[in-house]
Amino acid sequence: MISVYLLILKRFLFFSLLQGLIFNNFDFFDIYDPYVCLVFIITFPIKVNKITFMMISFIFGFTLDLYSNSLGINTVACLSVAFLRSYILNFVFGSFYDPHGIKLIKNYVLESTFSQKFLYITTIILIHHLILFSLEVFSFQFISLILFKTLITSLISLIFCITFIYIMIKNEK
Amino acid sequence: MQQIIDFIIRKKDVVVYFVLLSLSLGLLFNSNYFHKSKAILFSKSISNYTTENFNYLNEYFRLKEINFKLSEENLFLKNQLEKVNQNISLDSLTNVDFSYKNAKVISNNLSSFKNKIVINKGANHGLKTEMGVISSDGIIGIIDNTTKKYSSVMSILNIETKINAKVKRTEHFGTLEWDGIDTRYLFLNDISETAKIKVGDSIISGGMSLIFPKGINIGVVSKIITQSQTLTASENIVVKNKSFKTNNLDFRENYLNIEVKLHNDMSSLNNVYIIESFNKQEFQKVKQ
Repeated sequence: MISVYLLILKRFLFFSLLQGLIFNNFDFFDIYDPYVCLVFIITFPIKVNKITFMMISFIFGFTLDLYSNSLGINTVACLSVAFLRSYILNFVFGSFYDPHGIKLIKNYVLESTFSQKFLYITTIILIHHLILFSLEVFSFQFISLILFKTLITSLISLIFCITFIYIMIKNEK
Repeated sequence: MQQIIDFIIRKKDVVVYFVLLSLSLGLLFNSNYFHKSKAILFSKSISNYTTENFNYLNEYFRLKEINFKLSEENLFLKNQLEKVNQNISLDSLTNVDFSYKNAKVISNNLSSFKNKIVINKGANHGLKTEMGVISSDGIIGIIDNTTKKYSSVMSILNIETKINAKVKRTEHFGTLEWDGIDTRYLFLNDISETAKIKVGDSIISGGMSLIFPKGINIGVVSKIITQSQTLTASENIVVKNKSFKTNNLDFRENYLNIEVKLHNDMSSLNNVYIIESFNKQEFQKVKQ
């Protein structure tokens, strides 16, 4: 169990620094930043207690906020995604998903179908970005802008997240 | 209680989520001025809407109190105004011609020819006979009888009441009387036919009898009846009201009969003011 928390701490530091120092200044087409930090939440060990998971996500979002000078916005987004992740997993993987977490992320990646993996990652990214941008703009007036930015940023984030997950899996082997 | 605790334990992740969410939203609203102002605006708009609607209801229940305060204030202002009018002469305190008292109408009658109004102040409050009674819209009548606590007012809708009035524009004097038929109209008699009076002229109190001060609004000229029309008009009255003879309406030759539409709605009286004249006795002595 301690090794799990060590792994989490390692990833926490890695992804928060990666996001805060590199990807926040990525500026794809000037305004779109990929949110690679979501890999931390997507690949968070399932056997860890949900409340602990939410606490860690809260601190993770708070750290991201410190880098992007937007106190609270990333926190809400990360926390909500962490809360919703078990429901999404249950919805996407169905009977394949075990809440006790005997299976590793590797199993999920290798043994499930492509559509399942894709749907899982896409849902989390879309929800995260929607919450993030709605809170950032905070006005119904610009709802079309929010949706447009969510779609474009999700696309970019998706590419980067999938890349990172495959790199991680290869390293785990 | 046990069930509530069970529920919280069962849904502990949801509870933790909302606790953390409120914490982060608190962070969000407290550190970002834009979000803070937006949230404040939103909550203000909701609270303003509800309080405004609630205030309508609340005001309705406080109407009695508000009315009382308003009439008290009016009284004060009218007294003040009278002082201001007299302030031209240096002695401002003693040289007031009129003072006002307020009262409430207890009973009001419109159906008879000699209508009387009863108000809730009497001799104990300093009321005497032959004091004028007005409302905010115009003249109501003259006190003809007082008891300790109550007074009866001879309404202007009384065929015996005669009130001195004049046309504001041309300064022609006349006597205001009621014909006993329509509660909205009075007749201004005793104005000579040469007076050029038009429909729409204002009628104000004349101030000759010292019951009413000069210049209280009474009504507006609605119709001018010349001598030739007078006969048919009186006949009409006789036809309408066979029992009532129109002898009190003096349709004399070479005089106009002017129909005056009252500003007052005599059927809905509530707060009235009583006018006390300080110089009346002196005035009457000179007249004799």
